[in-house]
Amino acid sequence: MDKILEVKNLKISFRTQGGTLKAVRDISFDLERGETLAIVGESGSGKSVTSKAILGILAGNSIVEGGEILFDGKDLLKVPEEDMQQIRGDKIAMIFQDPLSALNRIVKVGPQITEAMLLKNKAARKSSRKEFNAILALLKENMIAVFGKEAEGKINEMISTFDKFNVEAIRLEEDYNVAYNRAEELNADIVEFRFLVEKKQKVNIKDGLNDISKKLKQIKNGFLTVGKDEQIAALAADVASAAKAYNEKTNNDLTAVDATLETIASLLKGLIESTRPNFFRIGYYSMKNPGVNLTETPVEQLNETTLKYLDDNFMKEFIQMETAGVKHSFDNSVEAKKAVLALLPEIRAYFAAGNLDKKSAKEQVKKAADAVNASIDRLDTNKDSTAYTFASALESAVAKYFKAVVNNPKEEARFERQSKKREALIAKGKTVDWKVVPKVVYDLDDLIGNIVKIIDTLQKKYEADVANAANVDMNARAIALIDYLKAKASQVVYKLTKRMAKEQAIKLMDEVGIDEPRIRFNQYPFEFSGGMRQRIVIAIALSANPDILICDEPTTALDVTIQAQILELINRLKRERNLTVIFITHDLGVVANIADKIAVMYAGKIVEYGTADDVFYDPRHPYTWALLSSMPDLDTNEKLDAIPGTPPNMIYPPVGDAFADRNKYALKIDFEMQPPQFEVTPSHWAATWLLHPDAPKAEPPHIITDRIERMKKKNGGNENA
Amino acid sequence: MPEERNDEVLLRVEHLCQYFRSGKYENKAVDDVSFDIKKGEVFGLVGESGCGKTTTGRSIIKIYDITSGSVYFKGQRVTAGTRSYRDAIKEAKQRIGDEIKALKANGADDAQIAAKKAELAEIIAKNKAEIASAKHDSKYSDRDYAATLVAQVKAEYEEKMKNASPEELPALKKKFRHDLNVAKKTKLITKIQMIFQDPVASLNPRMTVKELIAEGLVINGIKDKQYIEEKVYEILELVGLVREHAGRYPHEFSGGQKQRIGIARSVIMRPDMIIADEPISALDVSIQAQVINLLNELRDTLGLTILFIAHDLSVVKYFSDRIGVMYHGKMVELASSEELFAHPLHPYTKSLLSAIPLPDPHHEKQRQRITYNPAAVHDYSENKPSTRELKPGHFVYCNDAEEEAYRKELGL
Repeated sequence: MDKILEVKNLKISFRTQGGTLKAVRDISFDLERGETLAIVGESGSGKSVTSKAILGILAGNSIVEGGEILFDGKDLLKVPEEDMQQIRGDKIAMIFQDPLSALNRIVKVGPQITEAMLLKNKAARKSSRKEFNAILALLKENMIAVFGKEAEGKINEMISTFDKFNVEAIRLEEDYNVAYNRAEELNADIVEFRFLVEKKQKVNIKDGLNDISKKLKQIKNGFLTVGKDEQIAALAADVASAAKAYNEKTNNDLTAVDATLETIASLLKGLIESTRPNFFRIGYYSMKNPGVNLTETPVEQLNETTLKYLDDNFMKEFIQMETAGVKHSFDNSVEAKKAVLALLPEIRAYFAAGNLDKKSAKEQVKKAADAVNASIDRLDTNKDSTAYTFASALESAVAKYFKAVVNNPKEEARFERQSKKREALIAKGKTVDWKVVPKVVYDLDDLIGNIVKIIDTLQKKYEADVANAANVDMNARAIALIDYLKAKASQVVYKLTKRMAKEQAIKLMDEVGIDEPRIRFNQYPFEFSGGMRQRIVIAIALSANPDILICDEPTTALDVTIQAQILELINRLKRERNLTVIFITHDLGVVANIADKIAVMYAGKIVEYGTADDVFYDPRHPYTWALLSSMPDLDTNEKLDAIPGTPPNMIYPPVGDAFADRNKYALKIDFEMQPPQFEVTPSHWAATWLLHPDAPKAEPPHIITDRIERMKKKNGGNENA
Repeated sequence: MPEERNDEVLLRVEHLCQYFRSGKYENKAVDDVSFDIKKGEVFGLVGESGCGKTTTGRSIIKIYDITSGSVYFKGQRVTAGTRSYRDAIKEAKQRIGDEIKALKANGADDAQIAAKKAELAEIIAKNKAEIASAKHDSKYSDRDYAATLVAQVKAEYEEKMKNASPEELPALKKKFRHDLNVAKKTKLITKIQMIFQDPVASLNPRMTVKELIAEGLVINGIKDKQYIEEKVYEILELVGLVREHAGRYPHEFSGGQKQRIGIARSVIMRPDMIIADEPISALDVSIQAQVINLLNELRDTLGLTILFIAHDLSVVKYFSDRIGVMYHGKMVELASSEELFAHPLHPYTKSLLSAIPLPDPHHEKQRQRITYNPAAVHDYSENKPSTRELKPGHFVYCNDAEEEAYRKELGL
């Protein structure tokens, strides 16, 4: 299994009026593809904050004090907002607790599901055009650099040819796509129309038929409908005459029309499934030979001939030159990387020495950032995230250092002042009902360490790159670049219409278990029951096909039967789509079914971590015991073991184990020192002093031991049966 | 310990129907539900959201005017609906009208027709009397109750004042006026109190805890500030809060503490019965246990009767003596909690029980949830269902064929 997400030493706090509230205190976990991690804890234990940090939607007063969230080679805590938008909702999606507050109440559910699809498509089209142009310009530059000034004219011509025939291809493809989309839409229309008529829903049959006839006539494209135009016209006429003959009042026999619609549907299906012309090739041919009617040749043959024509006349030479350009860019980058490697020790030494001066530090940062930016091979389609994020990461780490330099003495002074005041009041014999807000002082050495670490990471990466430079296959890179350009060009013309998005949404609604999605599509959220609403929210989350799904208490607002259904749904989707799920809940009962691993959180720390079996059959931390024993099951008769008191105020986090105050098993050391993680089995650990070899033996409450005994007996019985 | 409790029925719900009009249609939120709650017991009401369990609770406490049926509290009818009587009149008019028409067509004599007409008039008069009585009870049950209290107070003080010395008399008179005022303002329905699901929404954020808890007393006509203060402190300690909390505002409390304030608000009225409408659904698991333990303690110390509405079956099982299962406005099964979980009969109850999540991964991963599809399970086209007692105390909503099948299942 491969790790998809790693959280390392995450620390998050919130600025509040009373002081800094430590919400998450140094937690780490890994997530493997296709696995479910359940995070369990009381409200305020930091479980939601963790998930929000992963999505980059922390509240404005939050401070990320340290740690890393690694996903897809990026550190989600450091990537700029623009990059985060590519990930949020797209790669990592979230389901919220209250479905109604996550939905817009005055918009029908259909548009809410399609909204993201349409926006994503629009954004992709826009950015693709930009990137296409930028990369082409860069390529031209590199090619000129290789072949010298004298070849400039030729290169210019080639690049402009490439651009032009791509434009021609786009034009042709756009025409084709319009007709193709119309065919797809009409097909969906007919399916829906027949469905509604069959279900005796309210439809205006006359208008519906007229509409179909009109739309059918509009489907016309040289490549798509070649040789079928007459048949289409005849069918359209048929439908139109049927519409004319239709009378609302008399009982109409619709079987004839239905048969016609069936024919149209199969015709459209044929069109949709027909071989797609390769417009990249045809574009070149058509540009060089204007006025030749290409539509007469069958598409397959056309694809072949134009490929040969393109290769012979243009592509072979172009690829040769392009490869040279790519190699040039790569060589430059390797040289620049060597320069960076030469530069880095000096910069590292400067920062590692500490005691930074603001002005010179800024210069050093700029020097490093410029050098690294210059060393990035922009023609590499495989983007190097370390290099791309180096400048911003270094800048923010240095900024943090200087902020601490300024703020630390202030904090010290404030703390001293307030402590003195408090002591003075106490000395006077007055009762003081306020505490001194603890000082927020950053360790400057730690901050320096962060800076140096960023530099070290880059150095390691670049050293590997330089060592590996000879093994890079330039031809593969050149082809990848052309593919990339082609993909961008066709992304520019791939337009997702509302009608197509609707079809995708209906498919999705069907997948999440909503009956008759065609009718439900046009309803408002209030017309759905709680469970159905949650399904809509899940459909929205899945619309972008994410890798990770974060479920933040998705069933807390639902009742037992619906809860079971939603859990089953999440489990099924997880299997079918190989989703990775982070499931956040305060109810240990619901996660037994769904979780592979469980992390029990208390006061911003993970106190116990293990597989579901470990945590349920062999719980070790007193907090896990308390959680388990405070919920009754069907055989519980005695008084429940409620956890006394409330969680600690995290503005003043306790020195020792945060749970010690509410823990009847607390040892003396629990109040003085935080327990480390004691390993029980390789997959299971708990942070409690009770696991220390010298600790007195503590038995979990008998309510739990009894239950585990019962469960084991029952399961054993099942296995034997 | 059911045998230790006496069998006095505290609350009786008979054929309760609560319909809501929405546009052209009528939404039958609660449809013909009957049950008794005995003094000192906890009666659990479960079902999925929208099945009418909350509406039942709210109808009992007169937040809605019920459509038909009656609710008796301490033997007194507190609310009643008139729909069933009006329907009876309508139906009789139709039926007897048709009969008279038939008689006329057959050429029957006037005496026969007159007899029919008399029969109709009798039915109408009887039902009209019922309607009048229902309306009277719904409207004046509180006034009647207050009148009896006033009479009691008057009788008590008449005696005292006769024997009092002249110097005691002014103080006694003052006390008499106060007690009389309280008696006049006391309503029978305040002997039933409600705890709401969402502790945040049920507390006014602009009132201090003291004001919130004392509100009921103030409305009831008690003006003695010192008495109110003492009462509030007493109740605060009873629900596990401290005196210092009285001056604070609701937002300064955690969810569990807020729910304790909600409980204090209802307990200060010294109710005989509490309707707890999902009191723990909005709380964390650890806090849920605290609140349940608190309710259990209060039940012992104050001798409360509790109608416990919830959808978490393991909690209901743990907390209740008897459980009623509701589905789409009908009470489909009612039994003692052990009986219900040991021998569930109605398919809906079975599906509900199969959905309970347990903290047992092996069991959970093999769990087969039973889905309930009323259209497929029941055939009520010919034989109409009704509520039947299959075993003492075990009621199921079924028809003849199903009754036989259930009896077989029980081994009767």
